[in-house]
Amino acid sequence: MTRLPFMRLCALALRQLLRDARASEVRVLFFALLVAVAASTAIGYFGARLNGAMQLRASEFLAADLVLQGSSAAQAAQIDAGTSRGLTHARVVEFTSVVAADAGIQLSSIKAIDPSYPLRGQLRSAATPYGSETPGGGPAPGEAWVEARLLAALGLSLGDSIDVGMKTLRMTRVLTYEPDRAGNFYSLTPRVLMNIADLDATGVIQPGSRVTYRDLWRGEPDILVQYRQAVEKDLAANQRLLDTRDGNRQIGGALGRAERYLNMASLVAVLLAGVAVALSASRYAARRLDASALLRCLGLSRYQALGLYSLQLAMLGLVAALAGALLGWLAQLGLFALLQGLLPSTVPPGGIAPALAGIGTGLVALAGFALPPLAALGRVPPLRVLRRDLLPVPPSSWLVYGAALFALGLIMWRLSLDLLLTFALLGGGMIAALLLGGLLLLGLRSLRRLLVGSPLPWRLGLGQLLRHPLAAAGQALAFGLILLAMALVALLRAELLDNWQAQLPKDAPNHFALNILPDEREPFAQRLREVNATSAPLYPVIPGRLTHINDQPVQQLVSKESTGDRAVQRDLSLTWAAELPQGNALSEGDWWQTPPPADGPPAVSVEAELAASLKLKLGDLLTFDIGGEHRQARVSSLRTVHWDSFQPNFYMIFQPGTLQGLPATYLTSFYLAPGHDTDVVALSRAFPAVTILQVDALLGQLRSILAQVTLAVEYVLLFVLAAGLAVLFAGLQATLDERIRQGALLRALGAGRALLVKARRIEFGLLGAASGLLAALGCELITWALYRYAFDLHWAPHPWLLVLPLLGAILVGGAGVFGTRRALNATPLSVLRET
Amino acid sequence: MGPSILVAQNLSKVVPSAEGDLTILHPLSLDLDQGDSLAIVGASGSGKSTLLGLLAGLDRPSDGSVVLAGHDLGPLDEDQRARVRAEHVGFVFQSFQLLDSLNALENVMLPLELDGRRDAREQARTLLERVGLGQRLSHTPRQLSGGEQQRVAIARAFAAHPAVLFADEPTGNLDSHTGERISDLLFELNKERGTTLVLVTHDERLAKRCRRLIRLDAGRLVAPLEP
Repeated sequence: MTRLPFMRLCALALRQLLRDARASEVRVLFFALLVAVAASTAIGYFGARLNGAMQLRASEFLAADLVLQGSSAAQAAQIDAGTSRGLTHARVVEFTSVVAADAGIQLSSIKAIDPSYPLRGQLRSAATPYGSETPGGGPAPGEAWVEARLLAALGLSLGDSIDVGMKTLRMTRVLTYEPDRAGNFYSLTPRVLMNIADLDATGVIQPGSRVTYRDLWRGEPDILVQYRQAVEKDLAANQRLLDTRDGNRQIGGALGRAERYLNMASLVAVLLAGVAVALSASRYAARRLDASALLRCLGLSRYQALGLYSLQLAMLGLVAALAGALLGWLAQLGLFALLQGLLPSTVPPGGIAPALAGIGTGLVALAGFALPPLAALGRVPPLRVLRRDLLPVPPSSWLVYGAALFALGLIMWRLSLDLLLTFALLGGGMIAALLLGGLLLLGLRSLRRLLVGSPLPWRLGLGQLLRHPLAAAGQALAFGLILLAMALVALLRAELLDNWQAQLPKDAPNHFALNILPDEREPFAQRLREVNATSAPLYPVIPGRLTHINDQPVQQLVSKESTGDRAVQRDLSLTWAAELPQGNALSEGDWWQTPPPADGPPAVSVEAELAASLKLKLGDLLTFDIGGEHRQARVSSLRTVHWDSFQPNFYMIFQPGTLQGLPATYLTSFYLAPGHDTDVVALSRAFPAVTILQVDALLGQLRSILAQVTLAVEYVLLFVLAAGLAVLFAGLQATLDERIRQGALLRALGAGRALLVKARRIEFGLLGAASGLLAALGCELITWALYRYAFDLHWAPHPWLLVLPLLGAILVGGAGVFGTRRALNATPLSVLRET
Repeated sequence: MGPSILVAQNLSKVVPSAEGDLTILHPLSLDLDQGDSLAIVGASGSGKSTLLGLLAGLDRPSDGSVVLAGHDLGPLDEDQRARVRAEHVGFVFQSFQLLDSLNALENVMLPLELDGRRDAREQARTLLERVGLGQRLSHTPRQLSGGEQQRVAIARAFAAHPAVLFADEPTGNLDSHTGERISDLLFELNKERGTTLVLVTHDERLAKRCRRLIRLDAGRLVAPLEP
């Protein structure tokens, strides 16, 4: 048999595989791959689709999926690029103008909308000031919807008319909620909503007016991506694209973390796939040592023998991966059906990518983990047909395993698109495996001495472990990895949720009060105390624009589309404070202890992210344009800010006593328990110039998103748990034959069932406890790295992880006894048959 | 010879098959005294192992009864029969059937421990020395040759002083020289300890060393028991 054509080798492999299909190890390998691919596919789909649904939810805050915003009207080609692709379009024009009525004038922020606005979410309005809200609709031509505070400021009521430029509009409803208003609390002027059809008639918009044009788009994600690509490169200097992540910082943060979490869970599934496949592939190879030796005797070359088995595995892997992907797809369909009431009615389908990733994962795991045992098959000496004790030369598989890890790392990276997370998991896992595996091996070896005088069930159970300490250590590591993965997922779930919850406590401020005049400051604070509102301090606000850094114009210094770019495009709310505000933490520099210098510029504290985007360092000199007046300040500290805390937050905080003399208004946020609406109305009436924004709706929306994320996270945890258990059983299956033989023999020799059960419990209990111990140690190691480098959370030891050894003993012990029950029930007669 | 130690009456075994019930052992009776030896011979598939399994209580008959060392096995459940085996029965198998996870000494200790004996270690050591393996106590089965493994198995079989020793092709996996020495050992110990020996074998020479012999053909007794 000198030359065997490839096709004949394939045919031979297929025939052998079909014949082998009934062999238990082939089934176990198939099952392990099936479970692994199904789990990672299902989680992949679940994550992708849920993410889509959450994006959809988040897009409400933008009133669209994508917004093209600029200070000049979009070009016809930019609009065509969207409409020709079938995207739904709405136009919004925003500007500040004086609104006039008989009683007086009021500077207002006017928003002209077309009838299809908003594309996501709904407007809400009331028929009377502070009356009950109804969703939907919008102002017809000739009409205006206005905020109640405009009515208060001008002493008008609904039905009266106002003039916007040269156009007279009749006020028909009180505007209470705009979906895309939420992202911008600091609009200081009352809102007037009008129909875009009336815009030209106002004559307000002239060349040079400060106007914001917003073109809103809604459509399928892939079409939106196409649109973005088509438009992005030709954006004018004053234009930029906003997506859901820009809509609102709070939502963006929650989404980002949820996405990371889901990615983590799919990485765990990949690791489980590896464990499952490694367990069953090594058994597959072990059981083919004889056959391989025989084939070598019959004249097959090493490479042909190796090729034959590789082909069999490849065929098996392909079928299992395809079936697994189908199963995973069906599983997530079922999951979404279960969650129907809780999710938006339209959940995006998710495409084929998760299925392909699942299949790829399975195949790469198979290749990576099955290769070393398979390589041993090629090295079986033919003499083994005569001497069964001859084993192949011990494989020097560092290189092969290295390649496997590399491939696995690639998949993980592809899945998470996050090198840091991948390295943390892979590196942490490997270091933990090496360290803990070594420790375990040592521990097992020393146990051998204890064994001599122990009772029979202990010796049987321990003996089973100690017969091949290396295999036992490997098994403990494998189960440990599963426990570790599950613990990690559970741990991160709890901590992420706690973190979110901590940022949104029950009494998070649900109102913002803006435009408080300096002489209204004390009376307003007094009124808040009277109605038992929990209030943040009152901060002065002075609108000002950052113009120069170290005497260089900022426009030249910032990169487009960055946080810094956005910040210098508009007025920033500048403030001063003696104390560091709550929820802020200094990351660099010192908070001021001394009064500002008499001869130099005062100090300013800058928010750290903005500082990074503007490449600011301590000591840099900033120049601001405040109402035409130029003021300078030197950067003295950088602060991190919890943007999702619903407290007033500022990019720039000046030293006290440095901005006095400039026109300032004050702002604060406060919490009023539900049911105090009349207090808010009374407050508005008492201080008509003060803008009171209710953010209950935003808070509620944020909470409901968090609730969904929580739910998703819990379901994903269930998936990982199920996959882990399935893999555990697959691992046990691999040792079943040997156990059945032993069980039958012990029974023939007169052992009762109780003894066998006891020995099994001891064996698996010990294995589980060792796995749990490894998992606890590994979990601490990995969380430490993850918290520190990936999630930016504070790390503290988790003493409850010490229940893992117990949990492992119960779980692995229970599953072990259950998974090998066939061995307990084996008829002793089989020892006579199996000769 | 002592009193009856193994009595079978009208023992038969019927198994269901695709073509209806298949009788793999036709009704058969036998009665063995303490210290007696019996060879069961016949071609492959003649029902030898089935009969051995029924006599040792490893399997239940379709009809008939087995009384082993005074215990009627019929009404006993599997755990109770295991108890009887632990107390009264030893086994030697063609493929040795040693536990890979235990060393030679521990393999021999096993039936003694199942019987709850405190002197298991000492007894096992004595027996291993008796079969010539005093120097190999801590070796695992993988480290022993076939003949050595079978000697461990024989030591194990005699360890708990069984009333009846069942041997299934004890020399089947060994070369003729080693087989000869193993069968010598078997009969020596049988004589020394007054054990009753029930032997299934292809090997006519081994069979002839037994005091009595039955021949099975297609589940039927063709050569009757010679008293």
